[in-house]
Amino acid sequence: MRKLSEGAEAKVFSTRLFGVDAVVKQRHAKAYRIKELDETLRATRTKKEAKAMLRAYEAGVNVPRILGVGKFSIYMERKSGRLMKDSRMKDMDFRKLGSLLALMHGADVVHGDFTPANVMIHGKELCVIDFGLSDISSSVEDKALDLLLMKRSVGEPQYRIFARAYAKGLSNSKQILARLAEVERRGRYQTRTLA
Amino acid sequence: MGIESSAHTFGVGIVDNGRMLANEKMMYDVGTHGMIPAKVAETHVKNAGTVIETALGKAKVSMREIEGVGYTKGPGIGACLQIGQLAAKTIAIGLGVKITPVNHAVAHVEITKHESKMKDPIALYVSGGNSQILKLAQTPFPHYQILGETFDVGVGNMLDAFAREIKLKPAWGSTVAKLAANGRYVEMPYTVKGMDFAFTGLLTYASELAGKRSNEDLCYSIQETSFSMLCEATERALLLTNSDELELCGGVAQSSRLQEMLRSVCKEHGMRFGVAKNEYNADNGGMIAYVAERMLKKGASETIAKCDIQQKYRIDKAVVV
Repeated sequence: MRKLSEGAEAKVFSTRLFGVDAVVKQRHAKAYRIKELDETLRATRTKKEAKAMLRAYEAGVNVPRILGVGKFSIYMERKSGRLMKDSRMKDMDFRKLGSLLALMHGADVVHGDFTPANVMIHGKELCVIDFGLSDISSSVEDKALDLLLMKRSVGEPQYRIFARAYAKGLSNSKQILARLAEVERRGRYQTRTLA
Repeated sequence: MGIESSAHTFGVGIVDNGRMLANEKMMYDVGTHGMIPAKVAETHVKNAGTVIETALGKAKVSMREIEGVGYTKGPGIGACLQIGQLAAKTIAIGLGVKITPVNHAVAHVEITKHESKMKDPIALYVSGGNSQILKLAQTPFPHYQILGETFDVGVGNMLDAFAREIKLKPAWGSTVAKLAANGRYVEMPYTVKGMDFAFTGLLTYASELAGKRSNEDLCYSIQETSFSMLCEATERALLLTNSDELELCGGVAQSSRLQEMLRSVCKEHGMRFGVAKNEYNADNGGMIAYVAERMLKKGASETIAKCDIQQKYRIDKAVVV
């Protein structure tokens, strides 16, 4: 297995499973915290991530297909392509991205880290990855935060294209966009730049 | 000379070219009731003269040798901040020397950075009222950018509130730690959102278990859960910013368990970990003197009329010189 990336809570390796190219995301043990807490967090987060991915997939969003789930690891199909943030982003891509998020939110999947760093482009296809911070939630606020993060990550014109497609694809999008405006008015989001 | 009076401590520090000559303090006794602003301020008024004299004696300098003065502008309790501000203004006018307001949080971060000889660390600043993950940024002006912080209360106040709930004696941080040594784990709410975190859910949950589980178990679990939250958010900040240094500062930095956990985080990634001596983690005048001296040397002084206080003086609003 070759290590592809390493974050604060998980390592991603490339591997082969059932004859297909796959990646495995493993939540490794953290020596700083006690074993009971460590295992509870890793197990519940792994389960939550797999559940959100599955639900997004069923809603018709292009996400890596899950091949298997262990206690602390998720095996999934390996997608080819480049990260959206590393490629030339066309207006069309932002339109597609807006429709994708609308599909996800329609199924109550909140991504939690929805930026061009977590979308892959392969030809004309967009694929949403890294559901590590995702949640199943119908909360208008949670959904507005997905929009906020995208808004802070891309240019104003691109965001507008994205938001228009999003609004078209979701029945209660008006409510969510209104909440986003409210979130932005709150003090802490005005004075703090998102990292 | 630096004067600190943002909460229960009235502190006076004297530095000469970054060398600490004296760092003296007197504290309001929080008893079992916590801080009553007017009472704390009254105590500071009573103690101010004594602490200033003791610091001068310790440093072996006379008042006339003081070349500049700094005081804590905020964040802190208004009534308390005013006493340090008044003392500093009086000294500045009396001696005819320059004066500068100092941000309390910047002082904690800077003295620790100086003490642990770091270049550009991520700072975890944890005290009663504050819990923030910080990094120096240059635009639009040099300041500490808040990468992550508590959505509600500071971790120190959370532990204090819980300790009062189960009727422990102060100092609460250390009494909780002592009981925690013999505790077993109870699952509690854990709230981290990216690099931010929240503590009130944990506090409510633990308080409701009071009497149903042993105090040892509750102290152990609330401490492990809250510190793990801080560690996770901090680790994420370290990796996202590609940093290789971490400093821990503020009152809660005195916790040996928190130090141990963060050392483990740093060890996993081959990063350096630094924490100052406890006299600088607790509120003190030395850190104010250290920052004020640097500011005044670089010409960042303020007119008497503009020397105000600000209870909610957020760290990212302070220019770091």
